[in-house]
Amino acid sequence: MSTGGSLERERRQAYLLVAPAVLVLAGVALYPILAAIWLSLHRFILVFGERRFTGLDNYAFLLSDARFWAALGNTAYFTAVAVTVELLLAVPLALLLNRAFPGRGLLRASVLVPWAIPTVVSARLWAWMFNPEYGLINRLLPGNDINWLGAPGYALHAAILVDVWKTTPFVALLVLAGLQGISEDLYKAARVDGASAWRAFRSITLPLLKPALLLAVLFRSLDAFRVFDAIYVLTEGGPANTTETLSIYAYKTLMRSGDFGYGSALSVATFLCVVVLAAVWLKLLGREEGAR
Amino acid sequence: MGRRFDTLLALGLTVLALAMGLAGCKRSEESREAAGRTRLVFKYQPLWGPPGPFRELLARFERENPGVELVTEALPNASDLAHQFFLTSLEGGADDFDVLVADVVWVPEFARAGWIADLSEHFPPEQLRADFFPGPVDAVLVDGKTYAVPWYLDVGVLYYRKDLVPRAPRTYEELQRFAREAMAKAPGLQGYVWQGRQYEGLSCNVYEALWGHGGEALGAGGKVLLDAEPAREALGYLRGLVRSGVSPETVTGFSEEESRRVFQEGRAVFMRNWPYAWGEAQKPDSPIRGKVGIAPLPTKGGEPGWGTLGGWQLAVNAHVSPERRKLAARLIAHLTSPDANLVLALNYARNPPRPAVYDNPKLREAEPFIASLRQMVERARPRPVTPYYNLIADVLQSEFSAAVAGIRTPEDALKRAQEQVDHLTGVDE
Repeated sequence: MSTGGSLERERRQAYLLVAPAVLVLAGVALYPILAAIWLSLHRFILVFGERRFTGLDNYAFLLSDARFWAALGNTAYFTAVAVTVELLLAVPLALLLNRAFPGRGLLRASVLVPWAIPTVVSARLWAWMFNPEYGLINRLLPGNDINWLGAPGYALHAAILVDVWKTTPFVALLVLAGLQGISEDLYKAARVDGASAWRAFRSITLPLLKPALLLAVLFRSLDAFRVFDAIYVLTEGGPANTTETLSIYAYKTLMRSGDFGYGSALSVATFLCVVVLAAVWLKLLGREEGAR
Repeated sequence: MGRRFDTLLALGLTVLALAMGLAGCKRSEESREAAGRTRLVFKYQPLWGPPGPFRELLARFERENPGVELVTEALPNASDLAHQFFLTSLEGGADDFDVLVADVVWVPEFARAGWIADLSEHFPPEQLRADFFPGPVDAVLVDGKTYAVPWYLDVGVLYYRKDLVPRAPRTYEELQRFAREAMAKAPGLQGYVWQGRQYEGLSCNVYEALWGHGGEALGAGGKVLLDAEPAREALGYLRGLVRSGVSPETVTGFSEEESRRVFQEGRAVFMRNWPYAWGEAQKPDSPIRGKVGIAPLPTKGGEPGWGTLGGWQLAVNAHVSPERRKLAARLIAHLTSPDANLVLALNYARNPPRPAVYDNPKLREAEPFIASLRQMVERARPRPVTPYYNLIADVLQSEFSAAVAGIRTPEDALKRAQEQVDHLTGVDE
């Protein structure tokens, strides 16, 4: 028995051993994506009882669909604002959590509570708090007459607030992990050189934190771009579709209207947006890694 | 040797994983016939209330049909989610349930898709017309054939504060005048709360206003027709309520519960809602207990208004075998009998779809409120009965919302709605 043959056999055996996992993954992850792409090339509307191949017709319609562009705009705005605010809040929070003080463990655990609550539950909670007639928010605000969930302009920002409340702790945790990777010696050296705290933050903390920040932005923006549950519970996309995101539009088209062809095209479009977004961030992240 | 064993093991595991999937299918097939009785599966949403009486109703069916094993399976409580469930499972040809509940607006859609069976043989349309209220019958007949049987129903009604207004308003003008007069006397009081959030409840409010202005949503040949004068008046009226301050700006974010809470706290003169709000208003700790009246919705001309019909119907899965269909029809007959109507009314406060049940002395004595709803139930109207309903509902909600929130004028909103509806239903093609 030659060594080469045994290696060959071992390799074959390895393939066989991972085969079940690959099969399951293909079934669970790949099949739905391919099925959605395939469906999106059809005119398949339930009540018409028809299902015929129409090629790229759905995508041609999508490009001229004002509702799609509005939903894309809402989604992009939601993602950009939510992620920016989360980052701005998370960095100071992480700096605070990085310090040694009594009860730090408890605080670290408790900031994660909003993140641990299922989104649907917390969105329902916020919906009551945003209630303009008897909700907590308007009682706390002077003038208390803001129509949070019923007025265009306010509703999307209310949803952003819920998202920020929910995921800032998660971002803070990612940043905290980055902070803990920075060696204490660097700060000691900076102190010896007479650098101020601000100078140390700008010249040491921020540059070394950059990979962690980019990673947080990557995770969060991909997540925020697919936002569905929080907004669906708060407004169902209203008023007048001003809070409708791509996921909500796709869901309504697929599951409520029974327009599987166009609904799938919308899902695929969302998927492509997320892929592009991921590619951009990963490229930035890669450059960052390479530069070091 | 050992290596070959490993290879075999890996292969075996793969095969096993596949086989387990197949075996799962096989097993469920076997269990269906195992007991020597026919398994009949009933998919429904849990009824809130004591489980006993309903269980007894089901048990009675089993006693009367010894060859049948009745199985109930719960659906999600939200209509949306239930619709999604049926959309995916019936489209996939599921035959693992026989009898299903359908929301009023689903029947034409499901019938057209070929998912629910024609029941005309068991429940002839003329018979339904004779036994049930007209609205619910309209909702279950598609092209003159019976596709479902009304189970229990719901209707939009007007709640008013007996202590704040002289009587229930009959016209829209009266409603606004009464509201203003009461608001003038009590600062901080709201006039009229209803459901203005972008969702199906808003559509119900809009249809009620449409009917109250003498309009119809369906034109000749079943074409959905909204770009018409009564529809513009209806949306103009709803927007006007908000603009003039009779309804708070915030109704544009209200669904049923938000409006009920404002009304229940004693902070509004009028409310449009479903009958469920009555029970809440009469609870011992309710600030408005004993101060609330209920009436048909007002109209432009002063005749009693038409409330939107809500509620559930029973239908038979068209994918099951003819024998099981026959049994399923029998179960539906049992569950929609006058007796069953009474059980649901007395124990779960569900409105019977049969006029005769409202005259039952037991109901009058035990649930006088339900008995008093008869006039409103009689005039309950279904939303446009068309297979396209779910296809277009989404467009309508968004345009109605735009008009009510003041983003577009009613004219613009309706024109846009009509264009999109025509595009979706393809009537122009």
